[in-house]
Amino acid sequence: MGITRRGLLLSGAAVGGGLLLGVAGLGAHLATHNRLEHQRKSQSGSKGQSLSLWIRITPDNEVVLLVPHTEMGQGSQTGLGQIVAEELDVDWEQMRIELAPAEVAFANGAALEPFIREQVSPPGWAEGMFQNGIHRIADLMSLQMTGGSTAIRGTGWLSMRAAAAAGRAMLMQAAANEWSVDVQSLSTAGGIVEHQDSGRKKSYGDLVAAASKLDAPTEVDFKDITQYRIIGQAIPRIDVESKVKTQAIYGIDADVPDMKYAAVAPIGAFGVEIDSIDNDDEILKRRGVSGVYSIDKGVAVVADNPWRAEQAVRALKYSAKAHDNKAVSSESLEADQRAALAGELSTLFEKGDVGLAMADAGNQVNAEYFVPYLAHATMEPMNATVWQQDGKMHVQCGVQNPLMARKKAAKVASLDLDDVVLHPCTMGGGFGRRVGVGITNDPLDWLQQAVQLHQESGEAVKMTWSREMDMRTDVYRPMVLAQFRAGLENDGMPRFWDSRHYLATQDVAAPAPPYRIEHVKVRHAGEPQVVPTGFWRSVDFSQHGFFVESFIDELAHAASEDPLTYRLKLLGVNSSEARALRAVAEMAAWRSEADAQGRAMGVSVVHSFGTTVAQVAEVSRDASGMPKVHRVWAAVDCGLAINPQSIQAQVAGGIHFGLSAALYGKCDIQGGAVVQSNYHDYRMVKLADAPRVEVKVLASDGEIGGIGEVGVPPIAPAVCNALALLGERQRRLPIVV
Amino acid sequence: MVLLSVNGESHQIDVEPEMPLLWALREELGLRGTKFGCGIAQCGACTVHVDGQAVRSCSFPVAAAQGKDIRTIESLSAADTPHQLQEAWIKHQVPQCGYCQSGMQMAALALLQQNQNPSDEDIDIAMTNICRCGSYDAVRAAIKDAAGSI
Ligand code: FES
Ligand code: FES
Repeated sequence: MGITRRGLLLSGAAVGGGLLLGVAGLGAHLATHNRLEHQRKSQSGSKGQSLSLWIRITPDNEVVLLVPHTEMGQGSQTGLGQIVAEELDVDWEQMRIELAPAEVAFANGAALEPFIREQVSPPGWAEGMFQNGIHRIADLMSLQMTGGSTAIRGTGWLSMRAAAAAGRAMLMQAAANEWSVDVQSLSTAGGIVEHQDSGRKKSYGDLVAAASKLDAPTEVDFKDITQYRIIGQAIPRIDVESKVKTQAIYGIDADVPDMKYAAVAPIGAFGVEIDSIDNDDEILKRRGVSGVYSIDKGVAVVADNPWRAEQAVRALKYSAKAHDNKAVSSESLEADQRAALAGELSTLFEKGDVGLAMADAGNQVNAEYFVPYLAHATMEPMNATVWQQDGKMHVQCGVQNPLMARKKAAKVASLDLDDVVLHPCTMGGGFGRRVGVGITNDPLDWLQQAVQLHQESGEAVKMTWSREMDMRTDVYRPMVLAQFRAGLENDGMPRFWDSRHYLATQDVAAPAPPYRIEHVKVRHAGEPQVVPTGFWRSVDFSQHGFFVESFIDELAHAASEDPLTYRLKLLGVNSSEARALRAVAEMAAWRSEADAQGRAMGVSVVHSFGTTVAQVAEVSRDASGMPKVHRVWAAVDCGLAINPQSIQAQVAGGIHFGLSAALYGKCDIQGGAVVQSNYHDYRMVKLADAPRVEVKVLASDGEIGGIGEVGVPPIAPAVCNALALLGERQRRLPIVV
Repeated sequence: MVLLSVNGESHQIDVEPEMPLLWALREELGLRGTKFGCGIAQCGACTVHVDGQAVRSCSFPVAAAQGKDIRTIESLSAADTPHQLQEAWIKHQVPQCGYCQSGMQMAALALLQQNQNPSDEDIDIAMTNICRCGSYDAVRAAIKDAAGSI
């Protein structure tokens, strides 16, 4: 692989091609000046010498890796460290991983690349970002983001690996120059360059000053997979110990001098504006209360303790202006969706001729599916702390893309970017809630509120949303209605597949069946509705994985075939879906009938974010008809596995996350607002109803796939496919109502 | 004035008697290891011990905690060597985002202090904390590992 000096040292973002060159490549080019500046600064300021933007080596031979991705539990910082340690050829103990500052220099347009490589047109999940105007240069520069399972794939594999391999080559070259020997006669291990013939040794820390003055190689050799010592190991995650000991600092833990606390309540319906606050005199007399404010999307109270602020805001009486949205309900929204599906449709994907095939297909199967809006309900509610220090505005919060948050804060406060300092924290869950882009709405509304409250009150303010505020002021996973029709051949195999669903997807691959069917048409209709929507862990695959994998199961039943065999017949024998299905069937000891205890198995497979996950769920219903999911098996083909333990944890976590949604998750809309308010009516799977999960990471040398989201999509269809054997098929989520 | 004994130290704080213990611990005493998740005793993120019992401090008024022995997650983390429970938590790499984990550990500790060798069912009954990241498999494994050593 040829790598230019600029592409490598500046970002690695230029590695690759196609659309990338138009997007991330451009970003790298424009960021050049700033990046170089930053390199100079980091070389003068800190101990040790920078080898590239991301890698610094200290005199003690410690390798400091600056990671642009914030940590929300996905373990990607550790994975990135493993990749760099491997290619740089240092021991794991030498690595120190730090979060890169929220600077333009670290913006990672490269995060988009894996998507661009997978989907020729349009680039899947990135499509939504283009639609949202992220392609504008200014926004591209803010893409220091963590999301879409891009950290390992984009930043790590495509960029940091190259930076590390080139770094090693430069260190060896520096030693070769010093000893006047051929670089071929040198070897490395544990951060030391050795000349075998003479036995001379020198540490990277002693070589880095000379090495950093060399030109980066135009070609680098990567280690062969058989030489890996660190990649593929279950290295303990770097963030675990501090989290166990509760030394990790979350946004909500902010503590700054003279800090006041703000609580916010929603106004009542989406898009509604406040008319008047009616009892502020009374509220201002309450103990500790220093201010009452009407702000974007809410009313707020500032007080000297968060509880006092929350009590006060709940006692606040206000009137809202009239608004059409107040007539909106789940029922009206669903009716609108159904009407749209009966109207004009846009084609998303087509092959063969469904119209023709429909005319002479014998047995037809029809089904309608529905999934509701879902809140993210991160364990740590949205919060931010804003204060003044040394003439600048400081913001402390947990965000998936700190740079975009910093820009947002600057914009709200009408400040230059340079006058805003952002302190990114560990996040108490992200799942797409803490990103800087939504589908219809800006997810950083909470940050905007905190900045407003700081400005209006003139105080250092920690604003924390109550759970109720958090649940009712989200960018929700879209509610979607979908209708399917298929015709079967005499042998039961599908002759055509015709689907329509509400709302264009961010990713065209999500609603398309992965199966070999001659005539396929996937269409959609409709515009975003009034409820704000955003990215929710696994994005479109959470809805469409459920639809597609339920409907194929229905076809298998209509054909009186084992649903596993049926799927395999429709997949290439070497496809990753088939591999994963065979593996999971073996793990689960697959059976297609309920056993004597009334436990049935359901199967599903979904390829998303470059990774294939097949799942089998074992389910029963108790005497009252309540479903119980006993066990779940998952086979994961994510290409080369950087850290199998992280992968297992992420996939198992994704299964519980997806199961909460499948069993209980819904946000109903009444009067233009969300009905659910807290964990009592937005229920979560807890330990007692959490199934035992077994995850197997398949050996693969394929391209690295994402891992943070991929456990989610297959669980809902696997559970519903099992329930179909025990009675009625579940075509609407959640299962428990 | 409310007098609280937290992790063996006495504190006198000027708060309303009905203020939930959670907010007194976090913002009056600066003990922020205990987390806020729901405020209505549903999630367990705020779990602390009051006289050895696991309680949800978001719904436990300071007045009710007066004169009692309050222990927070900081009491486990203070020692130089990690507590056995925390060792098990690290070994099984339990935390993902980590936010629920102080409450999770305090609930597990109360269980293990009362039941040296809990069955799966005992664990199911005692551990009603929510983990949005779904660390349940690891939580169960870590509790079993730590059982007997506490
Ligand atoms: S914050 Fe107390 S139980 Fe959720
Ligand atoms: S580890 Fe994230 S909520 Fe439990």
